[in-house]
Amino acid sequence: MNIVIVGATSAVAQSAIRIWAAGQHSFVLYGRNASELEKIAADARVRGAIEVTVHAGDIASVTYAQTAVANLSTTHIALIAHGSLTLSDRADTDTDYMASEINVNFTSAAAWAQLLANHMATHGGGSVAVISSVAGDRGRYSNHAYGAAKAGLSAYCSGLRARMWRRGVHVLTVKPGFIDTPMMAHVTKKGVLWATPEAIAQGIIRGIERKRNVVYLPKFWALILLAVKHVPESIFKRLKF
Amino acid sequence: MNPLSLDQPWGRGSAAVHKHHFAGDTPLPDSSWLPRGLGRSYGDVCVNDGGTLLHTFRQDRLIAFDTTTGVIECEAGASLADIAEVALRNGWFLPVTPGTRFVTVGGAIANDVHGKNHQHAGTFGRYVRSLTLRRSDSVSELKPGDALFSATVAGMGLTGLIERVRLQLIRVPGAGIVQQTKLFGRADALASVDEFLALEAASGDWPYTVGWIDTMHHRLRGVFFRGNHCRGDLAWHKPVPTTLALPIDMPGWLLRPWSAKAFNGAYFRAQSMNTAMQSELPLWQFFYPLDAVSAWNRAYGKRGFVQYQFVVPKAAARESVTQILTHLRTSNVASYLGVIKSFGDIRSPGLMSFPMPGVTVTVDIAAPAERELRALDRADAMVADVGGRVYPAKDSRMSSVMFKRFFPQWRELEALRDCNVSSSFWRRVTSDGSGK
Ligand SMILES: Cc1cc2nc3c(=O)[nH]c(=O)nc-3n(C[C@H](O)[C@H](O)[C@H](O)COP(=O)(O)OP(=O)(O)OC[C@H]3O[C@@H](n4cnc5c(N)ncnc54)[C@H](O)[C@@H]3O)c2cc1C
Repeated sequence: MNIVIVGATSAVAQSAIRIWAAGQHSFVLYGRNASELEKIAADARVRGAIEVTVHAGDIASVTYAQTAVANLSTTHIALIAHGSLTLSDRADTDTDYMASEINVNFTSAAAWAQLLANHMATHGGGSVAVISSVAGDRGRYSNHAYGAAKAGLSAYCSGLRARMWRRGVHVLTVKPGFIDTPMMAHVTKKGVLWATPEAIAQGIIRGIERKRNVVYLPKFWALILLAVKHVPESIFKRLKF
Repeated sequence: MNPLSLDQPWGRGSAAVHKHHFAGDTPLPDSSWLPRGLGRSYGDVCVNDGGTLLHTFRQDRLIAFDTTTGVIECEAGASLADIAEVALRNGWFLPVTPGTRFVTVGGAIANDVHGKNHQHAGTFGRYVRSLTLRRSDSVSELKPGDALFSATVAGMGLTGLIERVRLQLIRVPGAGIVQQTKLFGRADALASVDEFLALEAASGDWPYTVGWIDTMHHRLRGVFFRGNHCRGDLAWHKPVPTTLALPIDMPGWLLRPWSAKAFNGAYFRAQSMNTAMQSELPLWQFFYPLDAVSAWNRAYGKRGFVQYQFVVPKAAARESVTQILTHLRTSNVASYLGVIKSFGDIRSPGLMSFPMPGVTVTVDIAAPAERELRALDRADAMVADVGGRVYPAKDSRMSSVMFKRFFPQWRELEALRDCNVSSSFWRRVTSDGSGK
């Protein structure tokens, strides 16, 4: 199979590439950092990938995405994994920052999803997996800007799924909870809510194989979010989480 | 893969406090740092209390694999688990492997680990074709023969950060191991050790040999295993995933001598069912029986455990092994699963490498109290008296005096140590005025 990864240097994408590589697939990787992409490509080749091509560029730009997808050959699976953890306090006052974060997390991700889904629809179908977030289920005090972009992305994906399933393209919305990427300082505080990038990647691959629509990873987040969504707004606005 | 804990060594029970940095992220810290792999060392060689740990487990990419020569190049944080899987798919395997595959290449070099094939293959360090070492003031590619290479193999991280490695693998016919087992030890302790050594000596065609001994039993009975690679089943190429995990700490009362006795007895009875049996099994099961349960170290409870591994030279082996084990048993030191094995005379390139031609024994001791620790100190002296040594990778308790008797060459490593690198182990075993 031919697999396209957008945001290939993210921890979850790297884990997914490793799992897929052992199954002898071919990859096209997009990311910003050329030298990191080369390392990831080499790693994938050693682990069994047949062919790996990398493209470094401004993946948050819609024009970049358009040119990229226009040059793609047949693609069976796409994983859109780029994103930026928005700093809420900064987004409170810095409007340019907020807008550019929403561009990365929503506009560009939606553009890639649209372009790749259309591309697959004309090339025999496929699966597009988009990493959204549990944060998109309700805007919270601690991540309103990030949550808003992810809410938009989740909504876009559910509509895209409805438009695309009749054209043979499966759209998977991935909603991870906290991902324990050890690059972060909170790593030592990890508790039961934190999942490793490997576990999230496995969940995504399973979701694609089983043609699921929406997956919460790990699953228990679905329950947590169900509760979160049902807190009345009059109480919710007082919560600082 | 992620370590189970960023702070604790595998033996747990340490109260060390660290700052955490990630290799590759930032410049090297400018004071007291220590490279860290997957933390599978039992004691404080992978601990740096009050300093920084430089984690390598995300620097785990494979870079190139020449499937005709069997040389694989990787970042030092790559796990032996990953390398083994990739290698096996191409007809190669690790030349030397410890009893767990969840260790990094960097960690395997820094402790110059050995496996069940030491007599045939020597230590891990022998298969390192080159490595890139980052020190506070330089980066260099080192090859066997370089003084800094010798100091880095078995250098316990002290010479700097290993970043990349080229490793020679070995050809194997498949993912299977043909294994034979035999019980030994029917007469007395000394005769048991003799019996084991004779079994090993008669296994020249078998690269892998090891014995399990019931150290709680006065006759030192045990089970002898030997193995060789074979084709096996295609389905064996992938290991069974580690899903089982011990979620809780075992309560202390389960860790008394009587429970160790009962456990060992049960194990012995289970093994005696297949006396002198031959079987074929996936190599994962042969090399890594404990990897099927992740976090099994929690079975030893919150206070952790020590693993005591010593080696005594060949000439003294049969008497001193018997004496030391009898000493531990009569001092009532509880131990599950003792392991006995001969080391061959293939020299390691590592200056501080632990193996020497002779016999090595490993015992686990749960939540050691004062009495057990004193018995181990006595055992140290018995080991030193015959010119043997204790394995730093498993240690958290040996005295500085003993360490210096075991490794008189330690000053050579100290001379090549990166001045910003340190570990709790190194401070413990070199401090007492006579060091530096
Ligand atoms: C179940 C089990 C079975 C075992 N069986 C065996 C066995 O059969 N034979 C054997 O020899 N050992 C055995 N061990 C011990 C284990 O193989 C070693 O302790 C090994 O070094 C652990 O590797 P690690 O990646 O976890 O490194 P850590 O424990 O994190 O670190 C070990 C040492 O390596 C250094 N280090 C790590 N990475 C680097 C780097 N990139 N550059 C420089 N220094 C570095 C550290 O500073 C430290 O001194 C066993 C351990 C377990 C838990």
